[in-house]
Amino acid sequence: MSLVFAFLKKYRAASLLALLMMVIELAVELAQPYLISKIIDDGIANSDLGVVWMWGGILIVGAVFAFAAGIASSFFASFASQGFASDLRETLYDKVQSFSYSVFSRFATSSLITRMTGDVTQLQDTIFMSLRFMTRVPLVVVGSVVMAMVVNFKLGLLLALTVPLLLVFVLWIMRRAGSMFKNVQKRLDKVNGVIQENLTGIRLIRVFVRMKHENGRFAASSGKLMKNTVSALRLTETTMPFIMLVMNAAIVAVLWFGRADIAAGGATVGEVVAVANYALRTIGALSAFSWIAVTFSRAGASAQRVKEVLDTQNGEFEQNRAYGQENGASAAAFAASRAERSHRAAGGTGNAVVEGAVEFRSVAFKYPTSDIKVLEDISFRIGAGKRVAIMGATGSGKSSLVQLIPHLYDRDKGEIRIDGRSIDEWDTNLLRRSIGYVPQEVLLFTGSIRENIAWGREEASFEEIEEAAKIAQIHETVEKLPNGYETLLGQRGVNLSGGQKQRLSIARALVRRPAILILDDSTSALDLATESRLLEALEDISCTTFLITQKISSTRAADLILLLDEGRLIAGGTHDELMRTSELYRHIHESQYEQGEALHA
Amino acid sequence: MPNALTEAFRQPRPPVIADPTKASGEYKKKKRAKNMSGTLVRIWKYLARRKLKLGLVLFMVLISSILSLLGPYMIGVAVDDYLGGDGTFWGLGWGLFLVVLGAVYLLSPLTMFLQSIWMIEIAQETVYRMRVDLFSHLHKLPIPFFGKRQQGELMSRVTNDMENVSGTLNSSAIQIFSSILILFGTLGVMLALSPLLTLLTFIVVPLMAIGMRWITRRTGPLFKERQSNLGDLNGYIEETLSGQRIIKAFSQEDRVKREFAQRNERIRLSGFWAQTISGMIPKLMNSLNNLSFALVAGIGGILAINGQVTIGVIIVFVEYARQFTRPLNDLANQWNTLLSAIAGAERVFEIMDEEVENKDEGQASKLDKIEGAVKFEDVSFGYDEGQTTLSDISFEAKPGETIALVGPTGAGKTTLIQLLSRFYDASGGRITIDGREIGSIQRENLRSHMAFVLQDTFLFEGTIRENIRYGRLDATDEEIEEAAKLANAHSFIVRLQDGYDKILNNGGGGISQGQKQLLAIARAMLADPAILVLDEATSSIDTVTEIKIQQGLQRLMKGRTSFVIAHRLNTIRQADQILVLKDGGLLEHGSHDELLALGGFYSGLYNGQGMQEEAGD
Repeated sequence: MSLVFAFLKKYRAASLLALLMMVIELAVELAQPYLISKIIDDGIANSDLGVVWMWGGILIVGAVFAFAAGIASSFFASFASQGFASDLRETLYDKVQSFSYSVFSRFATSSLITRMTGDVTQLQDTIFMSLRFMTRVPLVVVGSVVMAMVVNFKLGLLLALTVPLLLVFVLWIMRRAGSMFKNVQKRLDKVNGVIQENLTGIRLIRVFVRMKHENGRFAASSGKLMKNTVSALRLTETTMPFIMLVMNAAIVAVLWFGRADIAAGGATVGEVVAVANYALRTIGALSAFSWIAVTFSRAGASAQRVKEVLDTQNGEFEQNRAYGQENGASAAAFAASRAERSHRAAGGTGNAVVEGAVEFRSVAFKYPTSDIKVLEDISFRIGAGKRVAIMGATGSGKSSLVQLIPHLYDRDKGEIRIDGRSIDEWDTNLLRRSIGYVPQEVLLFTGSIRENIAWGREEASFEEIEEAAKIAQIHETVEKLPNGYETLLGQRGVNLSGGQKQRLSIARALVRRPAILILDDSTSALDLATESRLLEALEDISCTTFLITQKISSTRAADLILLLDEGRLIAGGTHDELMRTSELYRHIHESQYEQGEALHA
Repeated sequence: MPNALTEAFRQPRPPVIADPTKASGEYKKKKRAKNMSGTLVRIWKYLARRKLKLGLVLFMVLISSILSLLGPYMIGVAVDDYLGGDGTFWGLGWGLFLVVLGAVYLLSPLTMFLQSIWMIEIAQETVYRMRVDLFSHLHKLPIPFFGKRQQGELMSRVTNDMENVSGTLNSSAIQIFSSILILFGTLGVMLALSPLLTLLTFIVVPLMAIGMRWITRRTGPLFKERQSNLGDLNGYIEETLSGQRIIKAFSQEDRVKREFAQRNERIRLSGFWAQTISGMIPKLMNSLNNLSFALVAGIGGILAINGQVTIGVIIVFVEYARQFTRPLNDLANQWNTLLSAIAGAERVFEIMDEEVENKDEGQASKLDKIEGAVKFEDVSFGYDEGQTTLSDISFEAKPGETIALVGPTGAGKTTLIQLLSRFYDASGGRITIDGREIGSIQRENLRSHMAFVLQDTFLFEGTIRENIRYGRLDATDEEIEEAAKLANAHSFIVRLQDGYDKILNNGGGGISQGQKQLLAIARAMLADPAILVLDEATSSIDTVTEIKIQQGLQRLMKGRTSFVIAHRLNTIRQADQILVLKDGGLLEHGSHDELLALGGFYSGLYNGQGMQEEAGD
């Protein structure tokens, strides 16, 4: 709730105005039964036309007044709630973008998406409804009871006794329904999960002819969803009839006692009518009460989820980074001198300030969410502009190793130095700007091919894009497409083959003119000829290249080959050195080349 | 009357993500006007399966509508005859009168209760059927359909749109019916009581209509705009969060923040106007209610003084006026919900109307067992008309042979496999298995004799064991472990915390790409097919692991016709035949040695490896 108020503060004026307008509207409505009792008792009973005219006129003026107030409240409430949602969404998004990758991966992506879309919308709707409608409901209930007692205390007391009873009932139902609907939601998630899985795995399901199996699975979970939904709805559907039943009984009682009182002179006809009318108004409000309570509790849950994101602290190394920025004077000075040197050294290769020398000193790493040691005691050193090939079996920690370089994750032990300087001292943005990273799983964005390549560097000219595409060996393929570089890619680039997507994401990294290029098994879907052309072309650009690969053909030209096994560096050196010293490397080599050829070489 | 509590617990409708590819006005128009009645008829067909219950519901609605008319009327009578005067109602004494009133008041909620719980059962059953139908239809659609659609958009149809229909069917259907009944019932009684007051009450109706038209004419386009902005924003969020690693590594946070802020601002603006104007609807209704209340009370009062109506009639009218505008109010409130639900249902039906994968020809038969002799005769194919992806492919594979497909990316290797498994049908030539044209074999039956290890591994949410069992549903745990051992997956599986019971979450997170492939291979092992397809199966498995599974693969391939697509030429040297594809044509064909001797494209490719080896030294 504090979160809601904090974000609503900016729209305090609009919110208060909306509430005020709502109260005006409500006051007019609450006065109605009272006024009608006046018309009956003072006007009709006394045959006084003037009184009828007066109260009737007041009723009409009130209606017009209420209309104006209603429209105004809609305007103010909408302004406040939309502004609130927009601010909240933006704060959330900025917050998420400020997360370090390891903090980010603590949340499931889908849950972050829901928080930013569904939960924010939920809060927005709740605010809109609160300002216009919800706060009004308790006022209607209380107001009706009070007014009824004002009109005729004794008859009003009947309402005052019944209403709390019904409130308790409504709250009880709500509590039960709450847990039942939670169940329904779980079932629904399950159903949606099955659908999602089937859509993603549709090809596999087809080739394994598992349609019947999947249909059965889906029917089962849909069936459960249906059952739970029906029983939950059944419960809630009893609320309204029950409230009506009790209130109807109250009205009958009002009539019964009312008649006796009229006979005894304790009440007038108008008063009895007014109290009955107030009772009728309470029925609607009471049922809305449950709705409000549920909406609020749901909004509370949404706010909680949103708050969880906003309250998430960044990991230690991001704090270091912030610390580094605070001590920015020296860092900036450092960066400036670095930039200068870099320009001198590289002859103006873009705006890179990183030269690309990388050193690992006894680095150990595990993912924040697990206890498995992914990397242990990794040490190596590579000069700027050189090529490192990383080999190793599945799960040996190759990808984890290269992810440490752009500081996506932070190591647990040891030190990583870039250009002789600890990675902690680098401004992460600065560092990343000089790194071209091509992850193992290709991720392209909706948009044209040109946009996707330029995604690496927005200000890249078309020539630079083409050049990157040429080096990545995708230029010719793109040219052949009907719309060339303007060809649109669907979500995740569905209309390209795996190899084409890989080459596109390589081009995206290259267009940054990186000082360090990381290819995380990014050539796996390329055929040999294309791959070797690509690697050759990469020779011509001067950047430190980390190449995760399975192919000896790609490691031969490397200045340093790192052989990983279960998170440990078991061998490091050039091809020739490893051929001499590492049995595993020789083994791999043999498997890829006929022995004769290898010996010949 | 809508049940507020039920309404409250209904899940908030997630925003329907607009389909940006279909933004053309032409499409929208078609979607709006054309199928409304058709969609309703189709929904009705689903509902009509429970005719008896539906009839009961309608009967209850009728009774409850009558009762809700009777209630206020009796209050009026009570005021006139028992409270204000000394009349009687049908000669009943005061006590008896209250008993009758009590009965009316008791039955009214009861009938409401019955109608809603019965309707819920019907509605949920309908939704269940629609869901299941839709789902099974999805599995009949041709594969290219899924390539053309954004997955998110499809997802939204199957989930959001379905939910929309579900919520609306629960309440709206009977509500609209009862609204109409009450509307006419009230009108009748009012006319009978006092035509003049009726007329006064009705003064607000044209006002209401004018106001509603003014509002809806403005909200329609606004909502559409907001919806499309919302879809855009949600799509953007989804994409940038899924691609967060890239954004981080490329240090593009500021840029996505900026782009997000633009979209966010757009939605704030369109959302503001849509909400402001649509928010006027209940206010307008309320005010007109107030107005008619004032008119009835004021003018009714004057008439009462003149003796033209009784106080009771005024009271009945005051209540009726409320009851009268309430159904209108409800109709108005439900209208947009209903429209959006119908549009949702329409989108669901649209998928159900998508043409299914060519049905198996009438005489298509099932084969219990196949040998695995595969023959392509002059086979041609193009994904789109006028474009050929494959042309004039001919070859013959004997049972048990290994056929390797080699060629540059995009040469048509995967397409060839897709023709064999009938994901697509060849546009020219003949493909036979064991001498039978594959068109004459039922698709499912054909595929059940094949097993695939695809380039993109897909794992289901579930345990490793379940994922492997997918290859053969009746496999025992022992068989699963056996298959995993053959695929060399066993050793890494047992090292995992929960071993075979480790739950893989969506997409197989938690294990590496290579490990996923090992599981996929194990799955294919378990399937024990006559024809095996390895489509880049080992491309992301490291060579060391590949050496180990090679043995298992060889064992698996023995006795089966195997098609192998691989980039690493050394892995396919032992193939019985190598098909070299280039630009959709069969360039070279023969064994490894034959092709080397030929000195053509293949030997160039193969020696490319050798050449690089020399260059490396």
